[in-house]
Amino acid sequence: MSFELRPHTADVAVASRGGTLGEAFAAAADGLAAAMCDEIPETGERFSLTVRAEGREALLFDYLDRLIYERDVRGVLPVDNEATVREADGEWTVEASARGVPLGAIAARDVKAVTYSEMRVERVDDGWETYVVLDV
Amino acid sequence: MTTREFDGIRLERVREHVWEIPREGEMRVPARVLASESLLERIGDDKTLEQLTNATHLPGMTGQAICMPDGHQGYGFPVGGVGATDAENGCISPGAVGYDINCGVRMMKTNLTYDDVRGREEELVESLFANVPSGLGGGGIVDGDMPTVEAVLDRGVDWALEEGWAVPADLEHCEDEGRRPDADPDAVSQKAKDRGKNQLGSLGSGNHFLEVQRVTDIYRDDVAAAYGLEPDQIVVLIHCGSRGLGHQTCTDYLRKIEQRHDDLLGALPDKELAAAPAGSELAEAYYGAMCACINFAWVNRQLIMHRTRQVFERVFDRSWESMDMQLLYDVAHNIAKREVHEVDGAERKLYVHRKGATRAFPAGHPEVPAAYRDVGQPIIIPGSMGAGSYVLRGGEASMDLTFGSTAHGAGRLMSRTQAKQEFWGETVQDELRDQQQVYVKAQSGATVAEEAPGVYKDVDEVVRVSDELGIGDKVARTYPVCNIKG
Repeated sequence: MSFELRPHTADVAVASRGGTLGEAFAAAADGLAAAMCDEIPETGERFSLTVRAEGREALLFDYLDRLIYERDVRGVLPVDNEATVREADGEWTVEASARGVPLGAIAARDVKAVTYSEMRVERVDDGWETYVVLDV
Repeated sequence: MTTREFDGIRLERVREHVWEIPREGEMRVPARVLASESLLERIGDDKTLEQLTNATHLPGMTGQAICMPDGHQGYGFPVGGVGATDAENGCISPGAVGYDINCGVRMMKTNLTYDDVRGREEELVESLFANVPSGLGGGGIVDGDMPTVEAVLDRGVDWALEEGWAVPADLEHCEDEGRRPDADPDAVSQKAKDRGKNQLGSLGSGNHFLEVQRVTDIYRDDVAAAYGLEPDQIVVLIHCGSRGLGHQTCTDYLRKIEQRHDDLLGALPDKELAAAPAGSELAEAYYGAMCACINFAWVNRQLIMHRTRQVFERVFDRSWESMDMQLLYDVAHNIAKREVHEVDGAERKLYVHRKGATRAFPAGHPEVPAAYRDVGQPIIIPGSMGAGSYVLRGGEASMDLTFGSTAHGAGRLMSRTQAKQEFWGETVQDELRDQQQVYVKAQSGATVAEEAPGVYKDVDEVVRVSDELGIGDKVARTYPVCNIKG
């Protein structure tokens, strides 16, 4: 799994890929962390989260939104993300975990929100790719 | 007729600085770009024009969707976009307001001159940085509990007055006297309140900042006198918004609208334009929530301004009252407001969406605070930390051309990723201090690089176009002295 930060006039975009949809989601979440902080230390406790939504794109949106919420409420930067995605009866679920680096230990910048702008979640030959624009 | 084309979008020149994208296909109205030739080149560089054209698809869009001279690509609706939709048969669009509801700017005056501050810039910038929370996880000036958040959402700056964080004059010099009467705290989610609780009185990061400035130029003596501005005077500019609480509120309503009004959304070219039909339950709930977020943002800027007064008291060893530290005005950049405008000779009730645009009501308008009604509403246009900022006043042409709006800043022209490749934070800081006597302190060097003066458009050109169109007239120019950011 991997991600890349892509240019956007005012904001930042993250392009991610993974062998599974969960890996692509987790890579997008790592991209979200990279958009906020350049040097990430090896500290922090892991925490888990579950998010449900009505579709693949909505799930990616809600998953990243939840990580931003956890960041503000727990006071940590969620890094080293892991995720698995499944679908049953039209409901999509991501079971995820992250290591929460205390914000006091790093110089981090705000990402305000996730956007649907230009969002893509696509199957490719060797897995999945996502593209998300973040509001900075 | 002079025409220009960018990526298949054709613009016709209507007159100096006015370009129109004619209505075609699913567009409900034409679109307009207010820009000089050089600004239009920049605007045509990214997806601004595509996003502006998409905005014309919103139900009830009236007149034209308009891009201000500082417009640039955003998400859904372009930044620098103004769109008025029919408040009875149209829609309200959280996407056309943006995530940072009531992101805005206020300017506080002082009776200090540049000579009073020279030689003390380091001390001042350090003290401001230590006392005004910025960046991520820095907390807020007030330790907010839930009842505090509820009260702020409901009562806005009235709450700050009751708690000793404001004086009556602060309310008299703020739009709506610092309180949106339509605010509905119950329409703001618990999630949003949880995020806002620890951020009440904080700058955040990105392009938000607090800047001590000196007035360098006066262009209209009578208006400057009415605003209490004179050459060499020290002023303080504060730029921030409703923090995580506002961001979460926009996110919440985008998702609710997606789930409940997918038929309307399906007819729009971009999901980020998410709109609720006027009169629907979600339209009313969003309007109430947005107005509550507007209150929160006003209190946020009020707390930072009042804390700045306390910092000046310590640094200059005098009371803030003796330094005459009074609010000039507070302007919002990202809001939608129910307003009445004359369209084709008839009065219409509209939701005027301003996303990265500033209200610019002219002299005589009843909604301009009494203190400024004879000269027009003050408008504050922040430039980059290496360039000047401007104070304008609402121009006579704004009601006809832009639903009473003008630009909100310089407008970005370079991405943050590119900025970090081109600039190094410490070098930018050193050059600003050594060459321009501007003292900058930030939580993160990357923020300084991302906000380097070179990433912004020419604010002088943006203001020139606003002034020549008569939508916002130049009154004064200021130049940075100290700047803190996240």
